[in-house]
Amino acid sequence: MVGIVFVISIGSFYLLHLLPGDPASVILGLGNTPAARAALYHQLGLDKPFVEQYFIWIWHIISGQWGNSFISQTSLASTIRAALPIDLELIGLSQILSFAIAIPLAMRSARKPDGVLDRILGAGSFTMLSIPPFIIIVLLVLLVSIKWGIPNTGVATYVSWTTNWVANLESLVLPSITLAIGSFVIYYRVLRSDMIATLQEEFITMARSKGISQRRIMWRHAFRPSSVALLGTAGVNIGGLLAGGFVVEYLLQIPGLGYTLIAAINTSDYLLVQDIVLVVSVGVVAINFLFDFAVNMIDPRISRE
Amino acid sequence: MSADQLLVVEDLSTTFATPRGPLPAVGNVSFTLDKNETLGIVGESGSGKTVLARTIMGLQPRMNVTVTGSALLNGRQMVGASEEEKRSVWGTEVAMVFQDPMTSLNPVMRIGKQIDETLRVRLGMDNRAARDRAIELLEMVGIPSPAHRYRAFPGQLSGGMRQRVVIATALACSPQLLMADEPTTGLDVTIQAQILNLLDDLKERLHMSVVLITHDLGVVATRTSRIVVMYAGRIVEIGSTRDVFHHHRMPYTRALLESSPKVTSPSHTRLTTIPGRPPNLMELPAGCSFAPRCAHATARCASERPELVAADNPGHAYACWNPLPVRRHQHLEAS
Amino acid sequence: MSDQIIEQAMLRPAPEKGKSLGPLFWTCVGWLALNVLAAIFANVLPLHDPLFGDFNAINAGPSMHHLFGTDDLGRDIFSRVVYGSRISIAVGVGSIVIGFAVGAPLGMLAAYRRGRFDSILTNFMYILLAFPAIVAVIAVLSFWTPRSMFKIIVVIGLASIPIVYRVIRTATLAVASKDYVVAAKVQGATDRRIMMKELLPNIAPIGISFVLIGIATVVTLEGALAFLGLSVNPPTPSWGNMINEARTVLGQNNGLVFFPSLFLCLFLLCLNFIGDRLRSHYDVTEVKL
Repeated sequence: MVGIVFVISIGSFYLLHLLPGDPASVILGLGNTPAARAALYHQLGLDKPFVEQYFIWIWHIISGQWGNSFISQTSLASTIRAALPIDLELIGLSQILSFAIAIPLAMRSARKPDGVLDRILGAGSFTMLSIPPFIIIVLLVLLVSIKWGIPNTGVATYVSWTTNWVANLESLVLPSITLAIGSFVIYYRVLRSDMIATLQEEFITMARSKGISQRRIMWRHAFRPSSVALLGTAGVNIGGLLAGGFVVEYLLQIPGLGYTLIAAINTSDYLLVQDIVLVVSVGVVAINFLFDFAVNMIDPRISRE
Repeated sequence: MSADQLLVVEDLSTTFATPRGPLPAVGNVSFTLDKNETLGIVGESGSGKTVLARTIMGLQPRMNVTVTGSALLNGRQMVGASEEEKRSVWGTEVAMVFQDPMTSLNPVMRIGKQIDETLRVRLGMDNRAARDRAIELLEMVGIPSPAHRYRAFPGQLSGGMRQRVVIATALACSPQLLMADEPTTGLDVTIQAQILNLLDDLKERLHMSVVLITHDLGVVATRTSRIVVMYAGRIVEIGSTRDVFHHHRMPYTRALLESSPKVTSPSHTRLTTIPGRPPNLMELPAGCSFAPRCAHATARCASERPELVAADNPGHAYACWNPLPVRRHQHLEAS
Repeated sequence: MSDQIIEQAMLRPAPEKGKSLGPLFWTCVGWLALNVLAAIFANVLPLHDPLFGDFNAINAGPSMHHLFGTDDLGRDIFSRVVYGSRISIAVGVGSIVIGFAVGAPLGMLAAYRRGRFDSILTNFMYILLAFPAIVAVIAVLSFWTPRSMFKIIVVIGLASIPIVYRVIRTATLAVASKDYVVAAKVQGATDRRIMMKELLPNIAPIGISFVLIGIATVVTLEGALAFLGLSVNPPTPSWGNMINEARTVLGQNNGLVFFPSLFLCLFLLCLNFIGDRLRSHYDVTEVKL
């Protein structure tokens, strides 16, 4: 895992240096004379060789001296530290929501495949799959502002947890629901199809022959092997949310990492972009590892392979 | 139904409704099983023996299946019983050992938990007591270091051991009837004998009746008191083991007996096989289903289906228009 | 027929190869074809100029003159939707073409050859995969100005290569170990022949399915990028652009939100449906659900 993170850090560093665009012109603005530029570069250490710059950066990261952004002159670490928990909360809420709804419904559908519920959910989830999150947001906002007359500019101004937890939850309702819809669809379909497959296995018949109730069979016997696939999917999905939740954040003005990233890009705040990319990448890798680990705990077959 | 009879099956038929038409998997099967008796059900693949076992137990699929006739277990009608009724006897009065130990155990659940599940859920035992009993059961089925193995996963056991676990699970609540569906087919030959001996032993100890389903006559030769021979979903011969082996009348029975390799035959003896293939149940010929492959078939065999008729000895019956002649002291040994 | 087979036959109907894909399937194909044709031949269709703003008809509702109404600059929404489909479709198809042209052959080759070539390449690709592609796409597109559709296609296309590689490689691995491939090898077939005759036909269903899903994903991505201002520059219409613009006049001009969204969603729905149908039609091992 360390190896992957290492390579990613190189990658993000390299990527940003590849990009056209010149920090000097941004910072210096009109005073962008060759002399000033040279001075700035020297000051920022940008005149050193590439590899050396990289190691300086990595060293700073590891030792905790993240430094300040060129543009905003605020501490990079604190910016990221402020933004990250918001993402975690958002992801947490949306996933709780989607699991809470997806799991029971999937179990119901697996019990009676092609029943009324199953058909409706199947068609419905398929349709939802085809509606991108940004459209969902726009429609939701439209709905909210029309139905309840809340002006759409005022919707979802984020309030932090420590300030007022009720307002905090309110402000996260819309984005959580949006993300939850997308996740729900995936989880529902994966769990349903896996459960149906599991329920046809011989050991389920054997369990039935022991006289155990259907309910117990569903939850104690069938769910566990099926949850493996679900966990794997969740890992990928959550990783994707961490990296891709920015659209939702941006549209609803939630100052999470994604929003901050977009803002940083727009202001050419290279260092911040670099650091956020690193954090996000590490986060995604960490999540994947976490879920792999969880899967191993549940299914002893996999760890033995 | 006498007090000694555990299972009375009468005219049981199971038909599947497939997209291509009705499939009569089991047709008009009748037999009885006494307490403490071992009955063998023998037939090739596709003869309907597994479907029969599952139908009697009530484990047949719920959709697209029609079951007619009667199957009384301890006086309780299993045909048409509700899920609840069936569940009340599963595990406590009747249990099943499945064919493939690889797939009949839940791979992500520890075996101990699978064994004592019925004890906890059906008998209401607490965890401690259930665990102790499960370890006893493991020992009874011959698993070494049972206390240690309690926490093992199925994947950590060999095929033979897994099958023992399956047996232990089935016997947890001391059912009166054990349906063993090809319990040794997937196992090594050396293990097969062990498992069968184990079943014999347990049957004695727990005073159970056993229905032993197999395609291998060698398995039932010494372990059963009566045998049912099935072909294409129907019973073609039924009687005591002795009668079936030594006084059989139906040519199919003879063919089955002859086709199992015998240890005692001289080396390089060519294996006798039954010509032709098992019939397609969707396209059964008129008359006797075995007629196309039978060396003794007559015109009547091809047009009229034979019913079971009684033979000389009590309890022995066969279904054939042109049966083998009665012979005394037939010495056809099974291996 | 063993008893197990009987029971299995009960749970699913016989998979007949000639089985029809269903009228809904063909409807979707038809709709997609219609979209594509309209996009290609937009120039010769009797449409309003998508860039011309009629200031007498701002935010007008649907009418005979303007089928879907006009946007906040008086431009005809219907023609903008049609022209906009060009961007979405071009980006979707173009990126996937790039991704598959590079990723698929590499994936197949790596899975078939195994060995050092495979492990080096696969490790490399997996590392690329660990890097959140979306972030890279955003970063690159933000800084690589001036933006053009071509650049967008290239960037997304390149970003999709590792994913395509992984999927194709996994699919090939599943097939390559099957006995009939080994049999062909033992019979002395050349690698190329094996790849063409044994592997390719068996990967094709998954591949096609993935192509369709890929196009759907990229089209969605273009929409998301438009919301960040990273798609094609205005006044060029794209579905994403239009929906984004609609945010400023939300409540006043519902047509501007509704129509591009509808077309976008329908497009995605058809793609997903076709991909799903193809998959379940050709995967005969899947139990009918």
